[in-house]
Amino acid sequence: MGKGNPKQQQPSQNESSINLKGTFISVMLLGIFILIAWFGLYALFLSR
Amino acid sequence: MHLHKYEKIWLTLGLGSLALFLLIIGFAAFWKGTHPQSHIETIDPQNVEAYEAFKPENLGVREVADGKYIVNMVASAFNYDFGTDIDEKAVKTIRIPKDSTVLYQITSKDVVHGFQVAGTNVNMMVEPGHISRYETVMKNTGTFTVVCNEYCGVGHHQMYGTVEVYE
Repeated sequence: MGKGNPKQQQPSQNESSINLKGTFISVMLLGIFILIAWFGLYALFLSR
Repeated sequence: MHLHKYEKIWLTLGLGSLALFLLIIGFAAFWKGTHPQSHIETIDPQNVEAYEAFKPENLGVREVADGKYIVNMVASAFNYDFGTDIDEKAVKTIRIPKDSTVLYQITSKDVVHGFQVAGTNVNMMVEPGHISRYETVMKNTGTFTVVCNEYCGVGHHQMYGTVEVYE
C-alpha cells in the first residue's frame, strides 16, 4: 500500500510540472494573428 | 479535474470570444434587424415584369430623393438588364455620384446568379423567385466591375457590367 500510492500519484505530479510556456506563447501568437485578421477584415469592410 | 494555469487562460479567451460572437449575432439580428439580402420576399420568376420595380421601364438607376438612388436590375443567363437609354440601347454602365445612398434591387428570371460590385461591399446571391436587396453608401470614386459570382452556365464569364462612381 505504502509503495503503491506514490507510484499512482506520479503521473499527476509530472503533469503539473510540465513546462507549458512555449505552448502558451504559440497559442497567444495564434490568437494575435486571429485578432489581426478579424480587425483587418472589419477595417476593409468599413473602408469600402 | 486539474487544469494548468495557462490552459485556463486560453480556454477563457476561446469561450469568451464564442460568447461575444453569439451576442453580436443576437444584437445584429434582433435589435438592428439585419437579415440576409433576400428578405424571404417572393416573386414569380416567369413574370418578373408584374412587379413594379422590375417593369422594363423601371430598370436602371433612378434618383428617388436628394442623394438617394435606387437601381433596379434583372439578371438572366447571361446578362444583367440595367434598362435602356434614350436611344433604346441596353445600358451597361450604372453612373452614380459619390457619397450617395444606393439601394440595389435585383432578381433572376432563370437560375441562381451572383451580383458583386467588385471592390465594394455589394455582394449578393440572386435567386429565382426571390428579390435581393442591398443598401449602401458609395463612398469611393472609381469604375467597378459587376461580376456574376455564382456559376450559372456556359456564358457565366460573359456576364458582367460596370458601376461608375463619379465626383
